[in-house]
Amino acid sequence: MKRVLVAVLAVAVLGSLALAATKIKAGFIYVGPIGDYGWTHAHDVARRIVDEKYDWLETVYVESVPEGEVETYIDLLVRQGCNVIFTTSFGFMDGTLAAAQRYPDVIFAHCSGFKRWDNMATYMADFYQVYYLNGLMAGALTKTGKIGYVAAFPIPELKRHISAFTIGVREVNPKAEVHVRWIYEWYNPAAAKEATEALIAEGCDVFAFTEDSPTVVQVAAEKRLPSFGHYSPMYDFAPDYVVSGQIVHWDKIYEDFLLKIYKGVYTTKNLAHVDYWWLLAQGAVEVGAKPGMLINPKYEAALKNYVINHPTFGKISVYDLVYIRLNQMADPGITFDPFQGPVYDRKGNLRVPEGMWMSYDALITMEWAAAGIVGPWPGEP
Amino acid sequence: MKRLGPFVLEPRLAPSRAAVLGVSLGAVILALLLASVVFYGYGRNPWQAYVQIGRGVFGSWPSFSEVLRRAIPLILCGVGLTLAFKAQFWNIGAEGQLLAGAVAATGVALFLPVPEVWRLPLMFLSGFLAGGIWAVLPALLRVKFAVNDVISTLMLNYIMIYIVEWLVHGPWKGPTMRGFAYTDAFPMSARLSYLPQTRVHWLTLALGIGAALVAAVLLARTRFGYEVRVVGQSTEAARYAGINFTAVFALVMLLSGGLAGLAGVGEVAGIHWRLRSPAHISMGYGYTAIIVAWLARGSPLAAIFTALLFGLIFAAGDYMKTALNLPFQITGVFNGLILFCLISFDILMFWRVRLSKREKAWIGQAGSSAR
Repeated sequence: MKRVLVAVLAVAVLGSLALAATKIKAGFIYVGPIGDYGWTHAHDVARRIVDEKYDWLETVYVESVPEGEVETYIDLLVRQGCNVIFTTSFGFMDGTLAAAQRYPDVIFAHCSGFKRWDNMATYMADFYQVYYLNGLMAGALTKTGKIGYVAAFPIPELKRHISAFTIGVREVNPKAEVHVRWIYEWYNPAAAKEATEALIAEGCDVFAFTEDSPTVVQVAAEKRLPSFGHYSPMYDFAPDYVVSGQIVHWDKIYEDFLLKIYKGVYTTKNLAHVDYWWLLAQGAVEVGAKPGMLINPKYEAALKNYVINHPTFGKISVYDLVYIRLNQMADPGITFDPFQGPVYDRKGNLRVPEGMWMSYDALITMEWAAAGIVGPWPGEP
Repeated sequence: MKRLGPFVLEPRLAPSRAAVLGVSLGAVILALLLASVVFYGYGRNPWQAYVQIGRGVFGSWPSFSEVLRRAIPLILCGVGLTLAFKAQFWNIGAEGQLLAGAVAATGVALFLPVPEVWRLPLMFLSGFLAGGIWAVLPALLRVKFAVNDVISTLMLNYIMIYIVEWLVHGPWKGPTMRGFAYTDAFPMSARLSYLPQTRVHWLTLALGIGAALVAAVLLARTRFGYEVRVVGQSTEAARYAGINFTAVFALVMLLSGGLAGLAGVGEVAGIHWRLRSPAHISMGYGYTAIIVAWLARGSPLAAIFTALLFGLIFAAGDYMKTALNLPFQITGVFNGLILFCLISFDILMFWRVRLSKREKAWIGQAGSSAR
């Protein structure tokens, strides 16, 4: 009898241990407040989606963490029992790496960086293809031939996006210009408003942007000018004026990564080469005014009526061109890239030769400006 | 004597140590009670929350060390500010002076070709000088052109913030950072070592405590300290005594800004190992230090303890954010309540409250008490 009891107890204990081992507690460290309606907000939406989907997953988060403090917060999360930690700002890179070496039994994933370790992967969902598709639409919609772009910081990520956008614009409207204003903040609605108004005064009549507020959309809509939303679905801020935009789905990456940990594919030993660079083909980004609305119906007619003579497709409307290009990039066997050679920068240098694509490294360190961009470009080679 | 309803306020000429401690403790307790309403509103049991925070902060050496680490820049800046405030020089610019120190230290760490053993000492020296010079500017402006010191020191903060932004986006942007706005990482010889199991860069901590001791002796036992106190109490008296205003203000601000500069060196050499966006380097230490110095009532030694109090508040806030999963603003509310109570209880240090029956003649005295 006693033996049976011991056996039962042992099974119970082992069983609960096995259960404990398969439970994942994931901690998310954000650089901004979850209410920013941009970067951090999108990560937190994704966290909630995966948290609700799997009962073996528990998540916690910390918001507004200063970059130098990331190690402190990692310590606190590990002490709380987190066995997976996501850090979602480039500035967290070195702190995350140090923590990964200090806690070899915890799995780390760092967003937007380039340093990895046995137990530290990197991940990024990038918009450059989406910006290119938005550029096609913007090029067709401008009447003045000037498109305004409000940008946060002159870093490679934004330079890549503005260039991809401009390549799209020029593909359908070879004489159009993209006028850029930098505001040197990720979130500063006042500065974004000033920049938009200055661009309107310069004659811009279509707007795109990379900063964390819906300000550009709102200011443009006041003047009845179309714009493209950024990061979160911005259709609701101006249903008559948001043509399309860039929407992120971080949950696709989080779900894949956490599932692979759960199934034992990813361990604390094999992440040194795990780098997610997810684009349209993986569903990590979407082009649209809101999920499922690729082009605002109010602008469909204008895009269908704008017909160009395309070097590859002959006579084609921009509306059709957008769908063709989207399919070429969303298909797992990607057959098109915005930076497909020949690509020249605005100084006339050949940057991508005929028949070539840009490598991942070239993309993420890109400093040059595509032909058609107007305005200051700090660090231009 | 003042009357407030049934209470009588009697002035205390010199508040006893017990009164200061008792009133401060009372203020903190009231703040905790008020904050518990907020906790309750978020569905947390306040008592359990405090027990959890207490365990989280004091539970182990690594977690308690965070209190020390957060206090380091506050001690240095706070001690410097007690000196300036003693001379009635309203230095609101510790934030900019700290950043000036960080900039100078980064310059030495990354670009100055010196023997490796000299690198850290030179970083501290240049950081002290940079912070000091940034602080001497407003001193000279006040003495020579009667420019308001509050305004000039505050404005210089913004100038230094933009200088840092320009450096990390421009000439100092690190080639290894793939275009992001950071300098490259410091070489190992430019990094401070930690106490075991912590991120406490002990050298800067020692400098802070040493600075407090030196400042206390300087104020109480030297001719310079005497001159600072005279200038602070009455400029007229100082003029009669033939004290050189310019020299006193310049030297006080050199020390005050220099100590803030040392704090900046400690942050970049101890925590960040690079220069980055100013908001992430300082997190408002220079402004918090104003309150540290103010609560220390001009005593550099007391500033060590008030800085530790704020280190505790910060560390508790960090813990709250993670363990209780409260929105980050709650930490701000919590800190704000503690400050608000401390400052508004201040009156009780200088006035004793006594319950007394309304006397007949009181109505007649009403006018006189409002004199």
